[in-house]
Amino acid sequence: MKLVIAAVAGIALAALGVALLAVLMTVFTQGSPCATSPVSGFVLGPPGTGQLVGATEYGGPGDPSSGVIGASGANLLQNPDSYAELGGTTFQTATAMGGLPYMTPLRITWSNRSTIAYKRDFGLGGGPITGLPRVIDLWWELAGQIGIPYENGMWSGPVRIERPPASGAGGLLGQTPSVLTAAPDPAGCAPGPLAGVSTVPGPRAQLLPNGLAGAPADAPLAVKEIVAAGNQIVGKPYQYGGGHGLPLSDVAPSYDCSSSVEHLLYGGGLLPVSYDAASGTLESFGASGPGAWVTIYASADHVFMYVAGLRWDTHNAAGPGDGSAGIGWHPLIRSSAGFVVRHPVGL
Amino acid sequence: MRGAALLCAVVLIGGCSTPPSKVATAQATHEYPSPKPAPQTAVAGQPSAVEAVRAFATAYINWTAETVPGDMRALAERSIGQARSAVELAAVQTASDYELQRGGIANTGTVEAVAPLPGAADQYVVVTRESTSATNTTAYQGLQPAWHVALATVSEVGAGEWVVSGWQPES
Repeated sequence: MKLVIAAVAGIALAALGVALLAVLMTVFTQGSPCATSPVSGFVLGPPGTGQLVGATEYGGPGDPSSGVIGASGANLLQNPDSYAELGGTTFQTATAMGGLPYMTPLRITWSNRSTIAYKRDFGLGGGPITGLPRVIDLWWELAGQIGIPYENGMWSGPVRIERPPASGAGGLLGQTPSVLTAAPDPAGCAPGPLAGVSTVPGPRAQLLPNGLAGAPADAPLAVKEIVAAGNQIVGKPYQYGGGHGLPLSDVAPSYDCSSSVEHLLYGGGLLPVSYDAASGTLESFGASGPGAWVTIYASADHVFMYVAGLRWDTHNAAGPGDGSAGIGWHPLIRSSAGFVVRHPVGL
Repeated sequence: MRGAALLCAVVLIGGCSTPPSKVATAQATHEYPSPKPAPQTAVAGQPSAVEAVRAFATAYINWTAETVPGDMRALAERSIGQARSAVELAAVQTASDYELQRGGIANTGTVEAVAPLPGAADQYVVVTRESTSATNTTAYQGLQPAWHVALATVSEVGAGEWVVSGWQPES
């Protein structure tokens, strides 16, 4: 049962006031060829690498009770690339995926196909699906496009979901307020989990044969937590913009340099969960110069760090023998020319 | 009274009319006085404010990873003030942006609306519709064009010549 809540789309843009909304309304109602969702054009992509979650599908001939009008008032037959976030009876309470904003795009992967879908709906949901939390309801035509069987509207199963990277010139060039004004919120700081990190003797972290790092037994707790957070995401695929736009407590399907470093710093309780900034912003993180345990090398185009002597980086920058080619721990020292050197206060 | 007159005479003899050095001023005000900035000029103004905004926005949203540093430098030459600073910064940052180049990121779009901001004679709301793509990652595959909003400020730099002097993408 999808409830109708009007004008939700405009809320995201309300910061510029009534004038801006008037402009948008004008544009939307002038029949611009770009103004409506390209409903006829599902674009399928390769399998995504997102988080595995429980999904159901809704609508279609086997589920007439769902109707064809989404909770936002959108006609889902005209906008078949739609999904509903589950968990409640309003947009405010259906937050099984963290309360995604209206029209949030997600890449949905099932089997070997993926497509982009947009949030236009919510639903109550139910119990777990094959042990996975039930978080998303897929409009039946969307589900069909990626090969999910209809099963008279009764299908349920696992899908992978991930946020596509930020788009648009302002975001890509780092000039939107969300990038510029990201600031630590001490109330949001939370130490990361310490599970999954082993300790090694001596003052330096060690790269273990499985690609994870062992934390020095004598290191402060925050350093061990940073190592643990790194071990959480070792081997995740590199993707420009990956990991951004998500809470740092999440394990994202992919990362870039800044989001991965920020995940580690959050793990050590050094950043708030909502922190989200480009690499250049970390040029002013903490205090100047190298730290006793943690040193960050930041510039406008890249950031990496050393944790107890072991380098955390998103690519193999020091040549052969530098460990894995992607996101993870790298045993060799790389050039730091052109980087601003910072460290967390006290570490 | 005699003392005050004497003090004034000493000050006059010592050079009351000579302005203090910049260093002396800085010691008192904790700020080294810099010269007043020269007026900025743009290489080509537009005949109206709306046309200036539309031209700036079109250039700002259409680029590839290879062209964006040059595109932003060219845009800087056609703008002044904060807008020039913003795109100059973008030119420098994108020129060395390893990740932007590695992904082969490109952005295209159209300016869908330019509307005056009520109560601010020199400001405009700009609505664009943009698509981001990449040649070396599938991350953007299937993503629909998205609406974006920016706030532009314009200045008249000559008789009937308008340029963008402020640019703030809001989304």
